[in-house]
This record gives sequence, structure tokens and C-alpha cells, in this order.
Amino acid sequence: MAQNLIDRELLEKLERLTIHWQKSLPGLVGGHNTSRFAGAGQEFLDHRHFHQGDDLRAVNWRAFLRLEKLFLKMFQLEPRIPVRILLDISKSMETGSVKKFDYARKLAAAMCYVGLVRLDSICLQPFSSGLGDAFVASGGRHRFQQAAVFLSGLQCGGATNFMGVARDFISKYPQRGLVIVISDFLDDADCEKPLQFLSDFGHELILTQVWAEEDREPPWDGELDLEDAETGVHVELAFDSSARKQYMAAFDEYAQHLRRVALRNSGRYVGIPTNVPIEDALFGPLVRSGAVE
Amino acid sequence: MGLAGAISAGVVALYLLDRSKRRQVVATLRFWTAADSRTEMKHRKRIQQPWSLLLQLLSLLFLIIALAGPRLGTDDKGRDHVMILDTSAWMGARSGRTTLMDEARSAARAYIKALPSRDRVMIVRADALATPVTAFESDRQILDEAIARSQPGASVLNLPQALEFAERAQKLQSQHAGEIVFAGAARVPEDEAGLATVPANLRVLQVNGALENVGLRKIGLRRSSTVADTWDIFVSLRNYGLKPRDVGLELQFGGAPAGSKAFSLKPGEEQQATFTYKTRAAGFLEARLNSRDAFPQDDRAVVELPSERPLRVLVYSNEPALLKPLLSMVGQVNAVFESPAKYDATAKADIVVLDRFAPAVKPAVSSIWIEPPAAGSPIPVKGTRNAVKLESWRTDTPLGAGLRTKDVLLQSAEIFAPAAGDIAVAESAEGPLVVARAGSPKIVVLGFHPVKSSMKYELATPLLIANTLRWIAPDVFRSREVQAGTVGTVTVPVEKGTDAATVRVVTGVDQGDAKPLPFTIEDNVLRFFSGAPGTVRVLTGSRELVYSLTLPDVGESLWKAPATVRKGIPRAMGNSVSTIDIWPWFAVLGAAGLLLDWLLFGRSRAYRLRAVGNVVGSIWRKAS
Repeated sequence: MAQNLIDRELLEKLERLTIHWQKSLPGLVGGHNTSRFAGAGQEFLDHRHFHQGDDLRAVNWRAFLRLEKLFLKMFQLEPRIPVRILLDISKSMETGSVKKFDYARKLAAAMCYVGLVRLDSICLQPFSSGLGDAFVASGGRHRFQQAAVFLSGLQCGGATNFMGVARDFISKYPQRGLVIVISDFLDDADCEKPLQFLSDFGHELILTQVWAEEDREPPWDGELDLEDAETGVHVELAFDSSARKQYMAAFDEYAQHLRRVALRNSGRYVGIPTNVPIEDALFGPLVRSGAVE
Repeated sequence: MGLAGAISAGVVALYLLDRSKRRQVVATLRFWTAADSRTEMKHRKRIQQPWSLLLQLLSLLFLIIALAGPRLGTDDKGRDHVMILDTSAWMGARSGRTTLMDEARSAARAYIKALPSRDRVMIVRADALATPVTAFESDRQILDEAIARSQPGASVLNLPQALEFAERAQKLQSQHAGEIVFAGAARVPEDEAGLATVPANLRVLQVNGALENVGLRKIGLRRSSTVADTWDIFVSLRNYGLKPRDVGLELQFGGAPAGSKAFSLKPGEEQQATFTYKTRAAGFLEARLNSRDAFPQDDRAVVELPSERPLRVLVYSNEPALLKPLLSMVGQVNAVFESPAKYDATAKADIVVLDRFAPAVKPAVSSIWIEPPAAGSPIPVKGTRNAVKLESWRTDTPLGAGLRTKDVLLQSAEIFAPAAGDIAVAESAEGPLVVARAGSPKIVVLGFHPVKSSMKYELATPLLIANTLRWIAPDVFRSREVQAGTVGTVTVPVEKGTDAATVRVVTGVDQGDAKPLPFTIEDNVLRFFSGAPGTVRVLTGSRELVYSLTLPDVGESLWKAPATVRKGIPRAMGNSVSTIDIWPWFAVLGAAGLLLDWLLFGRSRAYRLRAVGNVVGSIWRKAS
């Protein structure tokens, strides 16, 4: 299974990509995204007055000779920030002619590989009703195999509880970072609050909504006996073309709502149907959204 | 029709599956609930998809009509025909490269092929007996197999019986009687040739049975009554054809020629010839006609001749000249005379005669004692009397059968004291003069000398000796007749008053599987029936008749169907269907309606229509 997640050809293509975040997040030196924080960088940022305790190595001695005042050169910091991938493993991810879970798992693997290539620290965090056991991969592309094995071993189960997950996440990961949520976001409760919660704590959100074709446009007609995959609740109803239109409108409205939540918090939103190949999804919607460059 | 029905059933099943409530597992119900509320509101306002409803109702109506099986025209449920297939011996005759049986099979198949498919046919094989092979059957495969398995038998066709059977079968078992069809050569016995009373619904598919044939009818063999060790052979042959024929008959015994004769036979003529052949040995006698004809099965017959075993009689007598004439008159007896001094209790003989002599050790085989000494007699001697008058013979016993004397006075005779179970053959006023004791060995004691006494000139004396020898060794004296004939009913003349309990008719003796055959005795004629070739032995008292029923029984005449009887294969029968099934059309209409409804209003029509659109679009783009 680990070998089948992503083929070698795609992995070679993924090496061109980089996970990109917009917020200036604090972190150790060695990242690849600039930030507004000054530090031990290469790019000049500004001058400021010297204060006691500053590193003398950063003093601009040429300016001191000319002006006889101590100025300190400040450089732009490129911090290493944690990238955390929240992968939905609830029962609803198992529905669809093409299982959303398989698709999401491949997507997570691809993002993990992209991060590992740029020496980012990637945390794979599965969730459903709560947070599952996480896997942290860092140190380069040769650590991808373990990450792939971890993803292959995941099983679907439980109902989605975004609020609980957000609370656990904040308490478990106090350091701010990039949070890539890969889910269908089909929680019966509204997921706006928990996402806002995460954003308010300083995390940058990339919301990746994965849906099956049946989730957006159900192909069935007539009398239907529907069962919720997560709760097991049954609903019997009649469904026709006009009802289908209403359904699709509601689904699209929900997707737009998620987009608004992401943009409002300086995050990004990507909606990917499972009938789009993984490669097209990565180099298409994800690149266009700026999540990867 | 079957295909249309199956397709319709499939479409209906698919339609019902399509229209049934479908269970689906979905990721969430949040969007469904909102969509359903609007649908329910619309349901309340008006009927959803009225055209679909109309199409469904019409389709179901058509299917219900199809289930009722409507037909155009008059109602016809098919008829029941009886096919009588001639399987008599004559059907094995060759006509060119094929046999008459092959032609009859072809005619029968052609007739069945010409019938409407719903008609049922019963196949009956007819030779001496009418045997049904199938019930009234519409499965053409079964009928064809039954016809293919029909082979010529060995007996003659009994046409009246077959027709009667067919009529009865139609009367009792058929729902709508069709035709009685006879397929065969119709070669029947002479007395049935003029059969004119036939069923009104009879149809004849007659094959050409008028082929040239000369065949053996019967061979009879009997021991000559005048010349010892000689067989009288009687051969009968017949010309069944329409042309005069010259044929030669050859007899062979054990491969050696035993006789021959040339015959010139007119059409329909039957001739007989007699031969004599001298032999004591057992063997096979073969009669062969040196002619080539359409029916070689009756050109050769083989019968087995039994050997003639002499009766060995050892006579111990000091005066052999007295008994020699008496014993030599019986042809089957081989008498050897010895003096009493050479007596040997274990000497090889069938019967020992002790003439006025009683040995110390009694003989191991059956014996005849003549005036035995009182001390050594096997039957106690009450005493010897002079001037004894022979009063009577016990003619009810086998030993005394046919004996009669009048006023015979014996100068001296021994009177015996028989034990219980002993048979007193001749009696005087003082007691029995001749006594027989059954058992093993058998013993007969004579109280007087048959030649030295006054019985010398009586006719009863040689008869008494002959009766005695026959009683002791009945197998040797049993008269044998051997006949080669045809299978079927055999009639045997028997003696007047023959008790059926004493008669045995058995078959399969040669094969070691003897089985009694049922028989009747009426007006001094014994009748039995043998349907299969084989050997039948008839034992009636002193007679043994061996019937080698190996010749096929061929009818003498060809039956000509009356002019009113329908003949040949009806060509238009298959097309003369009075009704037309229209239910398949209704079934197809119903299925097509449901299919259309499924395409237009089915639950996945959007995808189907889109797929159709894509295909059309791609074709259009390629073309442009």
C-alpha cells in the first residue's frame, strides 16, 4: 500500500514544489519563507539603534565611523515553521464511488513529500471525533517512506467533531504553524467556529475540501432510503431533478462558506473532486491557490 | 415466443428494480433534508411525471394481457397422434443401400416435422405385439430418439392389434385425438391381408415392401420310426416375391453335406422337401438357401440334433437264447448276455436282468428279476403256486399300460408279498405276480418266466418288457422332435387328455437360464408364444419337442390400405395453424414501454442522457 500511494514519476515532479505560507510565523532559522521577523538572515531588513546586549557583530561600523553613532543592521529572518496536516479519517470519508479517504491520503502523502524535500517538519495528524496518533516526518525526502507507511495504516472510523478536534489541537500544538486540513468538511455541526478558533490562535489555514461526485451531484432518482455514514440516521425521501438542483446549490453554498472562512483568516481554500487525478489537483487548484508554488 | 417472453421478464425485473426504494449510504444528510422538503411540497401540488405514470400503466396493461396468452383465431390446443412404427422382421429387408426400417424412420420423422409444434405424438412399435415407447409427447427430441432406437424384431406384424391399441390409447389418454399413423411395409399374415376395417383417422406412410425374397419357413426333424439311427428331415420354404424363383437348398451336418435339392417356386408358392440322414452323433444341422435376395435373415437355419444313447442291458442267464428275441426287438437296447457265474455287482450297465438267479450282492443299478429264488428275492416271496391264473393287469400304472390277457394259466408262478409303496403290475387270486419298486435303483420282479411259461405266445409279453424298460429308463425311450421355426405363436398337437400339470414348456435351457413359458392346452393343441429368438423345449410325457425359433417370421402378404385411408405426409399440416399467438407482441410492447420509461424517467436518466450526448457529440466532432 505504501508503494501504491504515489508513484515514482509523480514524486519526481513534486520535487519542484514548495509549501508556501503567507503569515509571518516565528521559528528557527533555516526555513524558506521570509517573515517580518528580524534575525539571522541573509537579506537586509533595516537599521536600528544599538541597545545594550545587542550582538556586536551586527553593528554597522561604517556608519559609526561616519556618524559616530552605533547602528545595528537587521536582517530578514527565514524561519522554519511546523507544517501540520490534519487528515480526516471519519466514516464519511469512506463514501463515494472513489473513496474520499484514499484520495485524501494520497493528497496528504504528496504534501508531506513536498515539505520533506524542502526540509520542512511535517506532522501528519489524523482526526475524526478527536485527534489520533500523529506522525512527525522531518529531515529530508528519505523519511517519506515511513510517512507513507503511516498513512497506509490508517483506518476510517468515528464521526467528525471539528470543535473537539480544534480544542485538542490547540492544546497539543502551542507553536503556531501552517495547518493543512484535508477533509470533506461534512460535519453535521457547523465547522466555521472551530476553523476560526484555529486561525485566532495564529495558525495559517489551508482548507482542502475533498468530495466525491455523488456528494455534490447525487445520481439517484425516485424513492431513496438514505443513511448517514457517520451517525447511521435514516431518512426516506423522494428525489428528482429539481431536488437535485436544490441539493447542488446547498452544497456549493457550503463550499463558498468554507472559502470565505479561509480567506477571512488569511488562509486558502481548495475544493477538489475525487474524479480529478492527484497530479492535476496538485499542479492545478493547489498551485493556483498559492498553497504550493 | 420464448425469447420474447424471457426478454420481457428481464425488462420488467429491471424496471421493478429501478423503481424500487433504493438504500444509499451518504456522507451527510444536511443537504438532503432541505432538498426533500421542497419535493414533498411539490408532490402535494401535482402528480409527479404524469407521462411516466401513463407509460407505466400502459406497459403493465400490455404485460397483463400478454400473461393471459391471447391468440387470434379459433382455439387449438394441439392434437394427439399415435405413430405406429412397423418393427416386424420384414423391416430388416434391404432396399438398395437402406433397409425398410430406415425408410420407415425417415417417413415417421418427416410426418412429425410436418406437425404443428404443439401437437403430441405417441410412438408405438408394432410387431407381433404393440409396444408403446413414449407417452403423448410434444418434445421432438424425445420422439426422434424413440424412432432412432426402433429396430426390426423377429416376429410378424400384427396390424389389427396395433390399430386397436392406437385407438384405445387415443380414447383413454388423449385430450384432442389426432391421427393414427402407420409407418412401415405392412407385410402381414395371409389372413390379415384383407383387413378393411380400419380407424377413420388412419394415415398410412407405406414403404415399398414388395421385395423379392425366398426364405425358409420351417425345418422339422424326427427320429425315423422304421430305420434305426436315422433322422427324417422336413424342410419348408416359400417364395414371398412377385417373380418365380429357382433356388437350391443345401443341408450340412457338422460341416459335411447332408443333402441338397433344387426348387422352382412360383410367386407366393410354398414347397416342402424331406430328407433322411443317418447318425447317432449329436451336432448342428444347417439348412441354407443359395440365393441372393432382399432378406437374407431367413436364408439359413441351424438346429441342434441330440445324440442317441443306447440302453445298456446286462443279462445274467443260463439260457440267453430265450431272452435274446425279447430284448432285441427294442431298438434302443444294447443287450449283453453273461452266465450267472460271471456276475459282477459293479459291472457297467443301465439295467441288469437276473434270470432265475439271485446274487449274494445286489446290483448297484436298476434290475429286473425273473423268478428269483425265494431266499434272495428283493421282494419277499409268499410262495410258489402251481396252476395260477393271471387275473388282471394294473393298466393304470406305467408298467401295465396297454397290457391285456385272457385266461392265462401259469403252470408255476411265485406269489410276492409287496411292501407299502410297491406297485403290483400283474395279479392273481393268490397275490401279485409282477411287482415293481420305485426308488433308486428301481427293481421289477417277475414271478414267472415270460418265455418259458404260457405267456410266451401272448402279445402282452413284449409289451411288458418294453413297459418295464421304459419305466426304468424313461429318458432313453422319450421320442424327440426338433423343429426350426419362426418366433411368435407356436402350436403343438398333444395326446388326448394330456394333463397340463405334466407338461413343461421351458426356454433358455441352452443358455443355462431355463425359464418356464406360459402355455395353454385347448382341443388337444398346446399353444405358447415366444417373442424373441431362442430354443424352447416342450416336455409332454414321453415326448420331447425342441423348437429352435431362430427363423424370422415373415408375413405372407402385403396389406393394401383401403382407398379411403389417407396416405403420405401432409405438406400443409405445419402451416395450417388455425390460431396465431399475439401475446409475444403484447409482451414486447409492455417491455418496450417500461424500457422507454426507464430511459426517460429512470433514476439515472441524467447520466444516461449525458452519456448518449457525449457519444453523439464525439461522433459529430470526428465527422466534422
